[in-house]
Amino acid sequence: MSLLEVKGLKKIYKTRFGGHAVEALKNVNFSVDEGEYVAIMGESGSGKTTLLNILAALDKPTAGTVLLDGKDFSKLKEASVAAFRRDNLGFVFQDFSLLDTFTLEDNIYLPLVLSGNSYEKMHKRLEPIAEQLGIDRLLKKYPYEVSGGEKQRAAVARALITNPRIILADEPTGALDSKATDELLRLFSRINEAGQTILMVTHSAKAASHASRVLFIKDGEVFHQIYRADSSCEKMYQKIVDTLSLLTGGGAE
Amino acid sequence: MKKAFVPKLAFEGIRKNRRMYLPYLLTWILMAAMFYIICYLAQPSVLEAIGRGGSTQVLLQFGTYVVALFAVIFLFYTNSFLLRRRKKEFGLYNILGMDKRGISRVYLWETQLIAVVSLILGLLAGIALSKLAELALSKLISGIATFTFTISWRAVLYTAVLFAGIFVLISASGLVQVRRLSPMQLLRSESYGEKAPKANWVLGLLGVAVLVLAYYFSVTIKNPVSALALFFVAVLLVIAATYLIFIAGSVLLCKILQKRKRYYYKKEHFVSVSSMAYRMKRNGAGLASICILLTMVLVMIASTTCLYFGAEDSLRTQYPNDFIVEAIDNDTGVTVLPENVEVYRAALTKLLTDEGVEAKNNSDYYYFGVAGLLHGTTLQAETSFVDTDTYDALTNVYILPVQDYERMSNKQVTVAPGQALVWGKQTQKLPKELTIGPVHFDLIPTEEAAIISSGSMIQGFANLYLVVDDYDTVTQTIQAYYMEKTGEILEQKWRFAFDTDLSSEEQLALYDKLSQTFIDALAQQNADGFGYRCEALEAQREDFYGTYGGFFFLGILLSMVFLIAAVLIIYYKQISEGYEDQSRFDIMQRVGMTKKDIRKSINSQMLTVFFLPIGMAVLHLVFAFPMLRKLLLLFGLLNTKLLILTTGVSVLICAVFYAIVYRITSNAYYSIVSGAKE
Ligand SMILES: Nc1ncnc2c1ncn2[C@@H]1O[C@H](COP(=O)(O)OP(=O)(O)OP(=O)(O)O)[C@@H](O)[C@H]1O
Ligand SMILES: [Mg+2]
Repeated sequence: MSLLEVKGLKKIYKTRFGGHAVEALKNVNFSVDEGEYVAIMGESGSGKTTLLNILAALDKPTAGTVLLDGKDFSKLKEASVAAFRRDNLGFVFQDFSLLDTFTLEDNIYLPLVLSGNSYEKMHKRLEPIAEQLGIDRLLKKYPYEVSGGEKQRAAVARALITNPRIILADEPTGALDSKATDELLRLFSRINEAGQTILMVTHSAKAASHASRVLFIKDGEVFHQIYRADSSCEKMYQKIVDTLSLLTGGGAE
Repeated sequence: MKKAFVPKLAFEGIRKNRRMYLPYLLTWILMAAMFYIICYLAQPSVLEAIGRGGSTQVLLQFGTYVVALFAVIFLFYTNSFLLRRRKKEFGLYNILGMDKRGISRVYLWETQLIAVVSLILGLLAGIALSKLAELALSKLISGIATFTFTISWRAVLYTAVLFAGIFVLISASGLVQVRRLSPMQLLRSESYGEKAPKANWVLGLLGVAVLVLAYYFSVTIKNPVSALALFFVAVLLVIAATYLIFIAGSVLLCKILQKRKRYYYKKEHFVSVSSMAYRMKRNGAGLASICILLTMVLVMIASTTCLYFGAEDSLRTQYPNDFIVEAIDNDTGVTVLPENVEVYRAALTKLLTDEGVEAKNNSDYYYFGVAGLLHGTTLQAETSFVDTDTYDALTNVYILPVQDYERMSNKQVTVAPGQALVWGKQTQKLPKELTIGPVHFDLIPTEEAAIISSGSMIQGFANLYLVVDDYDTVTQTIQAYYMEKTGEILEQKWRFAFDTDLSSEEQLALYDKLSQTFIDALAQQNADGFGYRCEALEAQREDFYGTYGGFFFLGILLSMVFLIAAVLIIYYKQISEGYEDQSRFDIMQRVGMTKKDIRKSINSQMLTVFFLPIGMAVLHLVFAFPMLRKLLLLFGLLNTKLLILTTGVSVLICAVFYAIVYRITSNAYYSIVSGAKE
């Protein structure tokens, strides 16, 4: 059985004054296996963020189901959904989503504190992760005191510290320069090699080329997917660019 | 840039930011209205129409200065707050190609628009409400209600000048700020300074220390004169301490809590403690201002209502009888000749009989008053007495002949030479003996003669009443001694005091006749050196209520001004926090907090932050209480129970009002926070 299964997902946004409704997702089907690294690509407005929000249980689908480990969590109550999210999902966002009121360390602890862990336990968990991400010296700093790349690494640490079943990332490289982007992608590959499942939305063909599989979304449906199999990053990149030009009738990026 | 474009942009700017501008505009209007009203009332012509002047006029005049000063400070403060938000928009204009001159013009237009609109509306409101305020004032100071409606062009002019001045000041500071900043700074200015706070031990502890000192002053205060002297020092200390504690102290507390890992890393504390520290740093000054405004309101309302409702009380303490007649002899300067007294007494008795007035609770006695510093058992001749150090020792000694005491108390007593019967008022402990220069008494405690009128003495001083046998010898010896020591002539006096059953008007009529009777008697006697003083409680009442009612009215008016200010600060605080919390609300949800958790946490934080100022204000009030009590003694108010009551009631009213404001403003907050979700 796959780790994540998405079946017949549909999302219609109704505008407030009864105006025309927007169908962001029409009929999305796919599944993700344990240990996979999946990238999702698509034009702006194709419904990627919407999809991710539904996967994260931040939004409810109009129709369809999302199963994680065979469980449909859209049926859970809000309080249990929050706990479920905390224990099973890790998030990385384009805008880092770190709280200015906390040091990086406290930001990383936030989900663990919410599930009631002791400081000693959290600290023990953080140490190896911080070292792996190279932020061990920045832990006492506040978000506004560090660079964008460092912020994003802290956000990754926050996502990892709960040992989530899957990491959901929405354009994690969107606000980073190319050096920081490379670093982050390398990091993602490394944690994926260590067995972490990752689902990443991205606009960048380069970012997607690190994934083991790329899904293309168009008009609210999965339009195409490519597997990496044994090909190198460069080959993968070429395939992605070709698919994108097919998709949009133009070049990538 | 086209000419019409600027006013349009300015108008749009106000319209788009109406959540910020509307309360600001309202404040301008209210301040202008208030200022017009108080200016209008402070005019001699208005007060004359009510039948008052003097003390009320002085009070209201003082009030105009306070309101004016406050309006300047407060509008300046709120404007800087608004400007911070507007700068972002201005930065955008700048980047999109509008030069600083253009931005300045837009800004000027905005302020101008606000100033003109609010001045016109404020004046209209002020004029409309001025009659109401006048009637209220006249009711409070027991004046005459007039029903003609007038507009004071002078008050209009003053208001216009003041608010034009404020407009110039505000626009100048705004223009300087707009010109000085670069576009990037303009864009960022709103989020500028959003750093998490650092604990400042020095300032935090200093705040606590200063507060303790101020409280210590108030609690250990001994006498009214030092209360008066220390009051303003204490007020300044409390203001400084409040700011320090709210800005630095509270952050320090949060930081200490954060150091305690076991406490801090708990679900219930983690988010609240850190965001509290953050909030306190950003809003500490605002909260401290709210706290100080509330304290001022509480102190003002508590003391002025106490004065007003205690007016009857203090009137009675200062005038124990309805009528008091006192005679001195300027010719001899030392004794009151019994034959002169006889003339007065006869004239008085005749008048009362003619008028058919029955005098009750009569007291009729000679007395001799000497003031000095009581050290141990010695009364030291000293006349320059209004001094903090000597205040506690200051004592008035009244000496009465034994015959008068016997007559008034209806009993026979024997007083040996060198002895004196004694009773005290406002004394801690009666001395066993007393030496005044060459005179020495052994003191024998006795009952007070109930009908003895203590007269219009200054309250708060110790009074000793001595009954002696050889009255003339004793008084003459002391007179000689004082003459030698201080060059002061102490006078013997004769006093006649009584009550009546007459109505207020009748008493006033009798009072007039009383004075006339004495003038006639004096002419007949042809003893121009003989002086008299004639007082009626009813005649004093007018003056009392003129003062105390004036205080009360001013207290209410200023409280209203301060409360408006406090409300506006609260409102802006909530709004700015709302905008600030929007994004945090989202993030917390993403990392797995439920909406309910977030709401709970925000609620508890808001409640704490909201009720901190009023809690602190009540604490200030509690510690100010001993000082207030002493100060009110200076006004002859001895009724502590009444003060407790008025204090309690004003706290209650303020708390209720505050809670209502809280509800309304937190709705604004929630609508901002949740509005972002859609
Ligand atoms: N809350 C909402 N209400 C109404 N319509 C929405 C809402 N959120 C998104 N949409 C619409 O749904 C569609 C998909 O939006 P979504 O944000 O998922 O796109 P996206 O693929 O993430 O785009 P981008 O790459 O630009 O981030 C868009 O047409 C958008 O306008
Ligand atoms: Mg998106």
